[in-house]
Amino acid sequence: MSSTWIVVAGDPTVGTLVETGRTIGGELVALVLGPRSTAQRVACAGVDRVVWLGEPGSAPLEAFAGAAADLVAAGRPQVVLAADRAADRVLAGAVAARTGAAALGGVRQVETVDGVVQVVRDALGGIVRERLALTGPTVLVLDGGALPDEGVPAPVEEVAVTPAGVRVVEEHPAAVGGPDLHSAHRVVAVGRGLRERGDVAIAEALAVALDGATACSRPMAEGVDFFPRDRYVGVSGQRVTPDLYLAAGISGQVQHMVGARGARIVVAINTDKDAPIFRECDYGVVGDLYEVLPALTEALGR
Amino acid sequence: MTIVVAYKWAANPQDAQVGADGAVDLSRAKPGVSEYDPVAIETGRRLADATGAELVGLSVGGPQVGTSMARKAALSRGLDRLVVVADEALDGARAATTAAVLAAQVREIGDVDLVLTGDGSVDEGAHLVPAVLAGHLGWPLLVDVTAVERAADGGLRVTRSVGAGTQVLEVDGPAVLSVAADAVVPRVPGMKDILGAGKKPVAEATVGQVAVSEPAVVGRKRPALAQRKGRLLTGADTAAVAAELVAALRADGVL
Ligand SMILES: Cc1cc2nc3c(=O)[nH]c(=O)nc-3n(C[C@H](O)[C@H](O)[C@H](O)COP(=O)(O)OP(=O)(O)OC[C@H]3O[C@@H](n4cnc5c(N)ncnc54)[C@H](O)[C@@H]3O)c2cc1C
Repeated sequence: MSSTWIVVAGDPTVGTLVETGRTIGGELVALVLGPRSTAQRVACAGVDRVVWLGEPGSAPLEAFAGAAADLVAAGRPQVVLAADRAADRVLAGAVAARTGAAALGGVRQVETVDGVVQVVRDALGGIVRERLALTGPTVLVLDGGALPDEGVPAPVEEVAVTPAGVRVVEEHPAAVGGPDLHSAHRVVAVGRGLRERGDVAIAEALAVALDGATACSRPMAEGVDFFPRDRYVGVSGQRVTPDLYLAAGISGQVQHMVGARGARIVVAINTDKDAPIFRECDYGVVGDLYEVLPALTEALGR
Repeated sequence: MTIVVAYKWAANPQDAQVGADGAVDLSRAKPGVSEYDPVAIETGRRLADATGAELVGLSVGGPQVGTSMARKAALSRGLDRLVVVADEALDGARAATTAAVLAAQVREIGDVDLVLTGDGSVDEGAHLVPAVLAGHLGWPLLVDVTAVERAADGGLRVTRSVGAGTQVLEVDGPAVLSVAADAVVPRVPGMKDILGAGKKPVAEATVGQVAVSEPAVVGRKRPALAQRKGRLLTGADTAAVAAELVAALRADGVL
C-alpha cells in the first residue's frame, strides 16, 4: 500500500485533509512548512508522522516548495492532499511537477471505489461537477476544513533544506482583523451597486442590526479598496455558509455565487429585475439598495 | 533578457449552458484572452520597457488558441511576439499537462528569467497552472503580486498581498509571478494595435512529450443547486417591503 501525503504551508487548519487521507488508507505523512508550532499542531492531528522543514526565517514559505517537493517525491505517494490556500497551492504545484502527477483543484469528495481512488470536483468554476478515476499519482487541492482535533502527537522529523533565493524584506500586516466570515450567521454582502467607499456604512449598519458581518463581491476588494481582500466571497475568495446571505448590488455571476451557495437563505436586492442573482435567491427585492438597506435596518429595529 | 507572459484563451462559464447530464455547451460563450491575463501582459510590457527586455506571449491549448483572432487579441495588448501550441490534444487540457507544455516552451524560448501569469483563468480558476509550471522550471512562484521592478543587482523586487496585508520580497534568480487582478489597469487595444498585431511574429510549436497520467472522467453532472424559494417582494412602499422581508426571515428562523 503506498502512502498518502498531506502538504501544509503554514496553516494547520487541515482537518478535512487528515480525514480524507485516512479514508484513502496507507501511511499518512504530513510535510509541513512554517514555524515549529505548525508542525507540532499537525503532528497531533491524526497523521502517522510529520516531516518538517525547519524554521523559515526571512524566506517566504514558497521558497521551500522545491525542496519540499523532492522530499515528497522520495516517498512515492499516489495521492497528495493540499488545502485550497495561496501558499499551499504553490507547494502542491511544485509537488505535482516533481512527481509527474496530475493536479486537480476544486475537489469536493474523495473515495475509493473498487480499489481505485475517485474524486468529485467542481469544473469550469463550478458549473459542472465531474467524477474522475485517478490513473496515476495525483495532487488534490480541496478545502482544508477546520483545525483538526488534538490527539496523540506523531513523531516530527526535522529536515534541513536550503530555500530558493527569496527574502521578505518588508512586512505590512493588515491594519485590523475583520469579523470572521466563516462563523457569522448572517452576512450582508455588497457589490458594484455600491457607489462610494463611504456608503459601506449603509451595509455595516444593517450588519449590526442583524448581528452579522459584512462581505462583498470581488470588485469591491480589488481595484477599489472598499473592503480588504480577505472579505470577498466567491470562487477565488471566501466560501461562506451562513443562515442568511443578503446580497445587495451584486449581479450574481457564477464566480461570486459559488461562494454563497452554501447559505441557508439567500436574499437579493438589485435594481435590475433580470440580474442572474434573482434566479438563485429565496427572497428578491427589485429596488435600490440605497433605499432598501436602510429600510431593512429600520424594520429590524422595530 | 526575455520575459514570458503565459496566458489562456478561454470563455467565461457564466455564458455556458449546462445540461442536466453535465454536458457543457459553450456555443454562446465567446472565448477571449482570459479576463485577468491582460493585467499580466500589461505588467510585463511596463517591466520590459523599463529594462529593455523582450516580451513574449505564450499560450497552449486547443486549435482555437492558434486562430488569427486569438493571436491578434493577445498581440494587440503589447506583446512583442508569440509562441503558441495549438493542438487538439490540448483541448480542455488539465492543469498539470498544460503546465508541462508551458514549461517545455519556456525552456525552448531560452534566456527567460521571468514568467508572468494572470491571477486565475476565467474558466477553471483553480490557480494551479503557475504552481506546476514553477515546479517544472525549478523557480520560486509568488502569487497575488501587485508590483514588480528590476533591482540594480539584476534581481527582482516584488510586492504582493497576503490576506489583507502586503509584503515586499527580493528575488535573486529567475521566478514565476502570478499578477494580482488589479496590479495595473491594462490598455484597451485600439485599431492601430490590432492592425500592428497582424505583423508581429508568431511561432507555432508542437506539444511534445507529456508524461502526466491525467484522470479518467467517469461521470459528469450539473451540480444540484439548493432549492430556493425565489419569492419576489414587490411594492412601491419600501418600508412595507422591508417589513414583509423581515417577517419572512423571522418565520424562516434565520434572524
Ligand atoms: C477567474 C475569475 C475569478 C473570479 N472570482 C470572483 C470571486 O471570487 N468573487 C466575486 O465576487 N467575483 C469573482 N470574479 C468576478 C465576477 O466574474 C464578477 O465580475 C463579479 O462578481 C461582479 O461583481 P458585482 O456583482 O459586484 O458587479 P456587477 O456584475 O457589475 O453587478 C453590479 C450589480 O449591481 C446592481 N446595481 C447597481 N446599482 C444598484 C443599486 N443602487 N441598488 C441595487 N443594485 C444595484 C446592478 O444591476 C448589477 O446587477 C471572478 C472573475 C474571474 C474571471
